[in-house]
Amino acid sequence: MTSSNPRPHVRISKAANRYLVFDIDDVMYLRRNHNICSVFVGTMPQAPQQSAFMGLPIELMAEEAQVLVEKKVAYVVDDSNYHPARIAAAGPQDRQYLDVVKGITSDAQRSMREITEARKAMFAHKGASKKKERRDKKASDAQSSEDVTVAPSVDAEADTSLFDTAPEPSPATTKNPSVTRGEAAPEAWLATLTTSDALLTPSPGQNELLASVDVPASYPLYAHLQDKGYFMMPGLRFGCDYNVYPGDPLRFHSHFQATGFQWNEDIKLLDLVTGGRLGTNVKKSFLIGGRVEGEEQQRDETDKALDVRAFSIEWAAM
Amino acid sequence: MAHPDYLADLASTVYENLESQHDWTLLESHTHKKQSLPETKTLLPRPLITGLPPRRLYLHPDDQVELVKTHATYTVDETPEIEWVLPMHLNEKFTLKQMAEVFDSLELPEPLAEGRCKRLLMAIVHDDSTVVYYFVHDGIVKPRQN
Repeated sequence: MTSSNPRPHVRISKAANRYLVFDIDDVMYLRRNHNICSVFVGTMPQAPQQSAFMGLPIELMAEEAQVLVEKKVAYVVDDSNYHPARIAAAGPQDRQYLDVVKGITSDAQRSMREITEARKAMFAHKGASKKKERRDKKASDAQSSEDVTVAPSVDAEADTSLFDTAPEPSPATTKNPSVTRGEAAPEAWLATLTTSDALLTPSPGQNELLASVDVPASYPLYAHLQDKGYFMMPGLRFGCDYNVYPGDPLRFHSHFQATGFQWNEDIKLLDLVTGGRLGTNVKKSFLIGGRVEGEEQQRDETDKALDVRAFSIEWAAM
Repeated sequence: MAHPDYLADLASTVYENLESQHDWTLLESHTHKKQSLPETKTLLPRPLITGLPPRRLYLHPDDQVELVKTHATYTVDETPEIEWVLPMHLNEKFTLKQMAEVFDSLELPEPLAEGRCKRLLMAIVHDDSTVVYYFVHDGIVKPRQN
């Protein structure tokens, strides 16, 4: 399937042990084709204070990252190692890109300098004309009105030029009063680009910077449900490992609260009663499951789907 | 070979609860597999009980949808099905492996309909003689619409 699909692999950034996807196209692709919607964790630039509606990136569960890696539709990159290494080992194409960035930077610096100089000259001119006006006013009582009429016209000219140029310089001039008043032009004017796409073009496999995924013990159950087309969301709100939806969570209520166990792990019956009772109250089944171990595993090794066994628990209402 | 005494006692507690409190009929205790020769009787992993509840206990959500379409929901109560019961005590622990063994030992009287899983009733007993019943399905079975 992947061979007929020319879509590039989804890039998962591993940063501080969190698995993040930043590309909105990837997010839509995962939701449409791999029943993974995950959780938006980014604050929104327009409203960074609020925490109810989040934006990109999405944070994948470790299980989701691992499933995507196993399906060969994504790769995980350790961002803290990746960026410095990538920039150090820049190829000719990357150099070209970096040159463009540097060009933008020097352009910005130049125009900033020009603006500062123009303003300096303007203020100097304006100050001079004002002084001249004051001096003229003292002497104007007896003199002809010619000088007085000339002086205001110069003043008006300076005013219009001030208003014309004011919106042009970047916000930095208003944020930094020292710049407008200061003598020297700002030293470092670095261009911050909105995307670093051009630096992120590795081909998976030959890249030694791929990071590993640390999956929890409940991973086999997750992979089993994911394989069957269910959508999983974090299970905190129903006290389990995963909330399992039969389709997109925007369209369906969840069917199960799922908790993974080891094949020989002791399960307290009270936990089972608690899960079953809660599930019934919220119209769900309590699903437990895990990877089959021992003799059974050898029997099923050819068929990976049989590797996991799950049981659904419901209150019997009697 | 037989089960330890406490398991037999547990089974009889649940048996009496089903008979006296829930009015089940056709009750039967099982300790050995039915379809084995008498001399090589295989012990079940745990004692089990079968019986017929007075009303239908479980209706698969797909069947429920069908019945709602044909306005025949009232017929369900009158057609109870034989259920398997697994007695357990609240202080016991169990593993997925044990649950799988119990399901594998279940001999159903007739083959299952397509797409359906085995199910049993887990009867959980506590010392104050409370018995609670939970359905356990062998597989991923969607919840009932209630």
